[in-house]
Amino acid sequence: MSRIRMLGPKEQLQSCLGCIQDVGLVQLIEPAATEVLRPLGLNIEQAHHLRSVRKVVEDVDTALELLGVTPEPPKAAEGFPLPKAALIAGRTRRQLEALAEQSQGLEEERALILKFRPFFSAFRKIGDSGLDLDGIRVFYLVLREDGEQELRRMRAALRQALGDGFELLNQPSESGESAMLLAVPTADAAKAEALLSEAGVQSLSLPDQFEGEGVSATIRRMQTRLDELPEALAALERERARVARERGRELAWIQASVRDHLATVEAMEKAVVTQRAFVLEGWVPKAAQRDLERRLGSSCGPGFEIETVSSEEWSGDTVPVVLNNPRLFRPFEAITKMMPLPKYGTVDPTPFVAVFFPMFFGIVLGDIGYGTILAAISLILRIRSQADTTLRSVSEIGLACSLFSIIFGFLYGELFGDLGHRIGLDPLIFNREEAFFPYLGFAVALGLVHIVVGLLLGAAKMFRGNKRRAIGKGMAAVMVVVIALALMAAFEMLPERFFTPLVITALVALPVLIIGEGILAPIEFVSTLGNVLSYARIMAVGTASVMMAVVANRMVGAFGSVVVGVLFALVFHLINFVLGVFSPTIHVLRLHYVEFFGKFYSPGGAQYRPFRHWSRRESASDERSE
Amino acid sequence: MQLEMVFLYLSAALAVGIPALATGWAQSRIGPAAAAALAEKPELTVTVVLLIAIPETLAILGFVIAVLILLQAGG
Repeated sequence: MSRIRMLGPKEQLQSCLGCIQDVGLVQLIEPAATEVLRPLGLNIEQAHHLRSVRKVVEDVDTALELLGVTPEPPKAAEGFPLPKAALIAGRTRRQLEALAEQSQGLEEERALILKFRPFFSAFRKIGDSGLDLDGIRVFYLVLREDGEQELRRMRAALRQALGDGFELLNQPSESGESAMLLAVPTADAAKAEALLSEAGVQSLSLPDQFEGEGVSATIRRMQTRLDELPEALAALERERARVARERGRELAWIQASVRDHLATVEAMEKAVVTQRAFVLEGWVPKAAQRDLERRLGSSCGPGFEIETVSSEEWSGDTVPVVLNNPRLFRPFEAITKMMPLPKYGTVDPTPFVAVFFPMFFGIVLGDIGYGTILAAISLILRIRSQADTTLRSVSEIGLACSLFSIIFGFLYGELFGDLGHRIGLDPLIFNREEAFFPYLGFAVALGLVHIVVGLLLGAAKMFRGNKRRAIGKGMAAVMVVVIALALMAAFEMLPERFFTPLVITALVALPVLIIGEGILAPIEFVSTLGNVLSYARIMAVGTASVMMAVVANRMVGAFGSVVVGVLFALVFHLINFVLGVFSPTIHVLRLHYVEFFGKFYSPGGAQYRPFRHWSRRESASDERSE
Repeated sequence: MQLEMVFLYLSAALAVGIPALATGWAQSRIGPAAAAALAEKPELTVTVVLLIAIPETLAILGFVIAVLILLQAGG
């Protein structure tokens, strides 16, 4: 990244900001104010304008959210006039909020009536018993199934408190609970309420519009209302759809236009000025600096200057980070970005992820059949996805993974499990069904390579700052290799005479490790050895996958009928395929994030957010990365 | 000889069974906490996936040891 300073005549600030926004490469920051340079600030009129713009943005965002659709704004549209935008956004927001409120009210009403429904017939029978309801208060109560005793107790308590001035009727409901209706004179209602609350009896409160009528009439009206509600809700939904149809595209246009305008107004606040000139500062990727200077030089007119702020004047902690990898590796940035971005000036692990991730995936899945299906799915996703979207990255990662799965499928001789062996496809390295030891050794050896690469990257990163720790980190890498070789010599995979010199080398390296990394280094080193062993999961998950495929194939002859057997086998293969894609993804991700990144990765970089024209997709991806 | 085989198979079963139970127990504690955390902060997805995947190392290493015991047994 380069930090640049842009200077120009004060009266050209607005037009220059427009040009900077068009180019879309500079992340603006606030330069330090001095005696000569003071913040531009906004006058009362401008501050009022900013508030209005923010209000329109809020209105249009809320309206689009309530619409639930995200139409594309017209292409190459000009800016939408702000007064008209404010009017439309405000009116549509109010209209949609009213619709949403009505809809919510109806939903709540329906939920409340549905709460009563199991008791409808029970309360109706009670209501039909000729109770006169004038001047009395009615409580609708629900008692649990075993409430017989409770009912007696309550009746006794009511009699004690109210004498004979109450009526308590009960009826079993459809749900098995007891529906009860307690009628008391309005004057005694408070006493009865206190008694009910003391006894912990659940009272159903009627919706307001049904209060004050007889039981049967109330229930009849509730039933009618329940029948009417779906149509009322559908009418509101139709109205919302109409607004979406008529206003959606216009709102999307307003959103793009007003957010663009807001960005410009907010950018003005980042300018500092002298009496006649303005100064803007910002970050720009080094590779794009020349292009930026050329384009701004020609579009901003005379008097506009760009200079580079020397790196002594800024600290690495505040620099935004942009991952910049060759086209082939770029999809794998999605995996790196799932972690917080690396700090500026530290290692971007994407190229290593691009090599190791699909390779480990292929080593686990390792099947020509499954690999081909994955390739087909990835290809369809790639065709259907738009450029520069997460879906596109996922589809390209899927293609790389499927390629490695097919390659390792040939090396293991596997096509939908052992079907490959049956049709004469011989393994070129080993047969995973039998060769547990070679597969385990292969997995751990890969882990060794991966961890050593991680340690060396860590050493390279530290070499710029703390050379002693860098040597310690490098020594850890050497010791991992030496110990692995010593173990190979001990198990006679290497000539036995190498054993003693290798052990002596490890013992000599240990003090260097402690001097470099401190007294806790041996403990950390043991955990590094544990990290290497963790790669045994490649073998474990891979073996589980191939065994499942073998079991699926054996189902063909296991059910008497070939058709049933084939159907079961297909279903089992489908399940195995889903597990075979999901499981390696999780485990290989974990190997990268925990074992590999743990050796060198420094998270904490700030996302590079250049000042440019607003687009919904970029805004969404920015929100995700936050 | 047969009793020896019984113990070998039993130890293989225990080698994978006990770590699998331990993994299950650990994940049963992590899972609800992770779900609750995700409900409030969906951006923690990666951390949550990692936290859930970490105890699986136990079961996987147990499986590897069980395979080694079975190979020792000639099974």
